[in-house]
Amino acid sequence: FVSSQVEILDWETKKQLCFLDKVEPNATIREIRLMFHKLHPRWYPARQSIKLDPKGKSLRDEEILQHLPVGTTATLYFKDLGPQIGWTTVFLIEYTGPLFIYFLFYFRMTFVYGLDERFTSSPHPVVNLACICHSFHYIKRLIETVFVHRFSRGTMPLRNIVKNCLYYWGFAAWLAYYINHPLYTPPSYGKKQINFAVIMFLLCEAGNFSIHVALSDLQRNGSKTCKIPYPTKNPFTWLFFFVSCPNYTYEVGTWISFTIMTQCVPVGLFTLLCFIQMTVWAKDKHCTYLREFKDYPSHRMPIIPFLL
Amino acid sequence: MAAAGGGSRADNGYGGQQARRRKGPGALATGYLVIYNVVMTAGWLVIAVGLVRAYLAKGSYHSLYYSIEKPLKFFQTGALLEEYLLIAKYLPGIVPSSVVLTAFQVMSRVFLTWAVTHSVKEVQTEDSVLLFVVAWTITEIIRYSFYTFSLLNHLPYLIKWARYTLFIVLYPMGVSGELLTIYAALPFVRQSGLYSISLPNKYNFSFDYYTFLILVMISYIPIFPQLYFHMLHQRRKVLSHTEEHKKSE
Repeated sequence: FVSSQVEILDWETKKQLCFLDKVEPNATIREIRLMFHKLHPRWYPARQSIKLDPKGKSLRDEEILQHLPVGTTATLYFKDLGPQIGWTTVFLIEYTGPLFIYFLFYFRMTFVYGLDERFTSSPHPVVNLACICHSFHYIKRLIETVFVHRFSRGTMPLRNIVKNCLYYWGFAAWLAYYINHPLYTPPSYGKKQINFAVIMFLLCEAGNFSIHVALSDLQRNGSKTCKIPYPTKNPFTWLFFFVSCPNYTYEVGTWISFTIMTQCVPVGLFTLLCFIQMTVWAKDKHCTYLREFKDYPSHRMPIIPFLL
Repeated sequence: MAAAGGGSRADNGYGGQQARRRKGPGALATGYLVIYNVVMTAGWLVIAVGLVRAYLAKGSYHSLYYSIEKPLKFFQTGALLEEYLLIAKYLPGIVPSSVVLTAFQVMSRVFLTWAVTHSVKEVQTEDSVLLFVVAWTITEIIRYSFYTFSLLNHLPYLIKWARYTLFIVLYPMGVSGELLTIYAALPFVRQSGLYSISLPNKYNFSFDYYTFLILVMISYIPIFPQLYFHMLHQRRKVLSHTEEHKKSE
C-alpha cells in the first residue's frame, strides 16, 4: 500500500499552508479540499482554488490525485477565491427583485408618481398585459432556477451579487417607471402591434423553457460531463440545428417582443444590452463546444442562425 | 478632465517600448506613430499660437475661443482615434488600466468640446472656457512631444519632467475651467430644453439634459482625486527611477 503526501502552498507567497500525509493515491481533489478545510476552517471548499501551477487553472473536484502529473509528494497551490455564494441563491435574489419592483410601479405606490396618482390604474389594457408578461417571465425564471437548472459550478464570488442585482433591479425599476407612468403612450399600431408581440412573447418563452429542459436532461446521467445538445421531438428545440445556444436566442426574442408590446425606449435599451451580453456568453459557450468536441456540427452559429 | 501629462501611461509612454525594438515590423509602425504624434504636437502648437495672436490682436483675453474653435474641435476629436487604437490594441505596450483612465479623460474632453461648449453657444464667451483650453493646450503639446521623442528614443529630461510635473497645476486648472463652464451652461440648457425630451411621447422615454449635466459635475468629485493621485504616484515612480539611473552612471 503506497500512500501519497500532499503539501499545499500559498500561490503568491509559496508559504506552506498545510501538509497532508497518508493521503490515498486515488483521493479526489474534493476530498483534499475537505481535508484542507479542516485545517483552515475559514476557507470552506467552495472558496478554495487548488492548482498544480501557481498561475494555472483551478483543479476540478473530480480529479484524482494519482492521475495528476505529481510524484508521491504532490505540491499544490492554493488561492482564496473570496466569499462565495451559491448560484441558486444568486438567481433567486436576482429574479425576485424585478418581480416585486415592477409591482411597486404597476400599483403606483405613493412615492413613485406623486401623491395625486397613487394607487390609480392605467386606462390602457396594454399596461396590464405588460405587467402580466413581465411577471410571468420572472416567475418562470424562478421556477426554472429551483426545478430545472443544473449548475456546473456551485458558487460565484459574493461581490457579483451586488453588481448583478444593481443591473437587474435597476433596469426593472427604470422600465417599469415608464410603462406604468400616467403619461404612458400605447403602441402606435394599436391592437395589431400588441397581439403580434404577445404571440411572439409566448412562443419565445415556450422555446426558452424547452431548451432549458433539454439542457437539463442532458446532464441527468453524466453529472458534470459536457455533452453536445441535439434537437429533440419538441419543435422548439429544432433551433439546435442552427445555433449552439438557442436559450439565449429565445431570451432575446422575448425581450424584443416586450419592446414591441410596450414601445418603450428603456425596454429597447435593456433588450440591446441583454443581446450584447448573451452574444458574448453564446460565443464563449460555442468556443467551448468546438474545443471539447471534434465532431461538433460545423454549420451551427453561436446565437443567431447563419449570422452571429 | 484635463490630463496634464496623461500620467496613466507606463513609464516611457507607448513609444519607449516600441523604440527599443529597432529591427523588424516595429519600424513601420513606429514611423506611423511618429508622424501621428508630430502632427498632433503641431496641431496643439497651432492652437497655442492662435491663442497668443488673438490675445495680442484684441488686447484682452475675452472671447479667445472663436479664434481657435475649429482646430480645437479637430485635434481634440482626433484623440478619439488614438483612444480607439489603444482599445483595439493597435498601439503596443500599455498597461490595461490606463486604457480605461485615458478613455475617461478623452470622453470627458470630447464631451466638454462638443456637448457643452459647442452646443451651448452662450458659454463660448466665458472665461472658464479659456481656462480649460489653455490647460489642455499646454498639456497636449508636452504629451505629444513626449511621445514623439520617446519613439525616436531621444527623450530630453526636460520634457519628461514637464510631463510629470506640470500636471500638478494644469490638471486642477483644467478641471476648474470645465466645471465652471458646465455650471455656466446650466441656465441656458434649462431655458431651451436642449437635448431633453419629456413625457408624453410615443417612445415613452424622458431625458433631462440639465439633470444629466449636474450628475456629470457630481461625478468629478469621486473621479478627479483618483486620477490626480494616480498621476502623483506615477510621478514619484518615474522621476525617482530616472534619478537612480543617473546615479548609477
